[in-house]
Amino acid sequence: MPLGDIGAAIGIALTYFTIIYLTGLGGLYSERSGIVNIGLEGMMIVGTVTGSWGTAELTPELGLPWGPLAGILIGAAAGAIFASIHALATVTFKVDQIVSGVVINLVAVGVARFLSTIAFGQATQSDSGQPHMDSIDIPLLSSLPWGLGRAFDGISPMVVVAFLMVIPVWYSLYRTRWGLRLRSCGENPEAARSLGVRVSPYRYEAVLLSGALAGMAGAFLAVEVNLSWNEGQTQGLGFIALAALILSNWNPIRLMGAAFIFGFAQAIPLRLADAPIIGAIPPEFIRMTPYVVTIIVLAGFVGKVRPPAAAGRAYEGSTGV
Amino acid sequence: MATVEATTVREAHRPEWVENIGGQLLALLTALGIAVLLGSVIVIAYGESPLVVYSAILSGSFGDATGLGYVLANAGPLIFSALAVSVCFKGGMFNIGVEGQFIVGMASASFAALTFTFLPAPLLVLSVLVFGVLGGMAWAAVPAILKVKTGAHEVVTTIMMNGIAASLVAWVIRGPLRYEDIGGGFNVNLRTDPFPDAAMIPDLGHLFGIRSSARLSWVLPMAIVAAAVVWFIMRRMRLGYEARAVGASPGSARAAGISIGAVQVKLFLLSGALAGLVGIQQLFADQGFLPAGYEAGIGFTGIAVAFLGQNSPVGIVFAALLWGVLARGETSLQLETDVPREFIIILQGLLIMSVVVTYQVAKRRLFSRQLRRAADVEDLRDAEASVDIERAGEPGPPREVDR
Repeated sequence: MPLGDIGAAIGIALTYFTIIYLTGLGGLYSERSGIVNIGLEGMMIVGTVTGSWGTAELTPELGLPWGPLAGILIGAAAGAIFASIHALATVTFKVDQIVSGVVINLVAVGVARFLSTIAFGQATQSDSGQPHMDSIDIPLLSSLPWGLGRAFDGISPMVVVAFLMVIPVWYSLYRTRWGLRLRSCGENPEAARSLGVRVSPYRYEAVLLSGALAGMAGAFLAVEVNLSWNEGQTQGLGFIALAALILSNWNPIRLMGAAFIFGFAQAIPLRLADAPIIGAIPPEFIRMTPYVVTIIVLAGFVGKVRPPAAAGRAYEGSTGV
Repeated sequence: MATVEATTVREAHRPEWVENIGGQLLALLTALGIAVLLGSVIVIAYGESPLVVYSAILSGSFGDATGLGYVLANAGPLIFSALAVSVCFKGGMFNIGVEGQFIVGMASASFAALTFTFLPAPLLVLSVLVFGVLGGMAWAAVPAILKVKTGAHEVVTTIMMNGIAASLVAWVIRGPLRYEDIGGGFNVNLRTDPFPDAAMIPDLGHLFGIRSSARLSWVLPMAIVAAAVVWFIMRRMRLGYEARAVGASPGSARAAGISIGAVQVKLFLLSGALAGLVGIQQLFADQGFLPAGYEAGIGFTGIAVAFLGQNSPVGIVFAALLWGVLARGETSLQLETDVPREFIIILQGLLIMSVVVTYQVAKRRLFSRQLRRAADVEDLRDAEASVDIERAGEPGPPREVDR
């Protein structure tokens, strides 16, 4: 098997990594603040259609690469707006977080179709071949020998952005007062409140950030990967991001590894179908590995994970803040 | 004496069950009102009249018998799906895996339909149903056992099982059950062989003058029977009692000698069995084969319907019909107005969101009122006790007596 295939597979894995990692970071903020977010998939879906729309509208005005970039930011903003429903329901009205997340996912499909009929005049797709950012070659890495350089050849700038995201996210969570307080809301909101931390605003901010990151990931998928909006293009990646988040034990650095491994699992059937051993396994079984791994880890057969202690529980403050 | 006083206090208010049902109705009507109002805002923003749009939605279902037939046909799968969700919910568990359980059930039902072709029609249909149920139960058993044995949370494991199910069924259709007969000349790639006619559920609509295009079959009566069975299990059998005890307070249930794990596994198996029948209508009354990419989303819609029906079997039947009316409205909306048919999904989303929120608010109101009433009773008892002391010079009965 030529190493070039592995290089190409890593390239595809990097694309999937970007989607899974950005979405997973969204879930990380939300769950670290104590709000379980299984609506990530829905927030991604809203990001796909709005991102594609923004790109199509703004690229003639702004040119490259600013049009697609603006489109991706619009996708992020739409994701945040959509996530505000989840925040309102779970934080203000204290609706069960799982219920709200399920509803978010249900509603997202309708919202996406509705927006699509307005934006593109058809319900389930946009015109294909929409503008996207020029791809870049990573210096040094793209000249790796034996074809491995193909992995870093002609990738979207957003992949680099996703990699660099670990720095602000890690810093904000572990080195700022805001991050400490946010995490304390997810571990023990009553204790946080007793120390003067207002729980609800932190949870709102976290859920909105979560929607923005998931929306950004969705917009990246539509704008930079598929070059168009298509219904169902998220293919459950929001749930894979959730799985990666669990595997990472809710840690942004370990989440990088988990997102890459799950991204690679997606890439195998596409690029390594002829490889020995791996090629003999039906692609469907490879695609299900992220879910199987997560169940094994959750069941405690391998390793141990611990979610934020207060995740899933509404904060019953006497004053409601 | 304290008992007398407590009764008087309670009589000053409405009986509890009236308050419960009245509160639920009020909450449902409020939610409907909010959803219709918010929907109207969208319709007006779109430059249409809400009155025209809503009457178009209703006329799609109630305009003629066939319209109603579509609603009834769509309700069957939703009832099964929502019942599956509600059974677990009664026991304090959340089965998000109905979607996965139902597609695995359909794959195994398809296997039965294509394998036991030598059986006569009634037996073949029966084996299709049994295999659907077994497939759903098998898929539900995994999260149940993991929950009981390892403590893995069922919400996450069922989500993961959904993902596994989608891939597994894709493989089944591409591999073992792939369409073999290439003679037809049309695209045969990703679907199973057509099921034998003997495996199909007979049509019911023609008895009522409903055109066969509505596909109203015996699945709907089956679903209603299933709702009755679930009601019986949950209200009249030991399992239902234990389920409600576990759902209300696992600690008290354990103290009462209930094996929580056993109850949870039984509930999940029941849930999976119901989930295994969700796809019968679509595959065995309509399409006649298992297509690739069969993820109809009914498993998730069932969660919405279960909430709309407040997890009660009767409520679920009506909620499924309401949902069916809205779904049917998509067609007439497209024919009679300029509003895109996707408006219906938004309306459904608005409805379920406002239902969830208003019920939550109502529940909290009711709870705090009950708390306050309990406090009132206690105050009165205290007052009564002190009067007793003054009058007789001895302490009144201990308060614990009738608690």
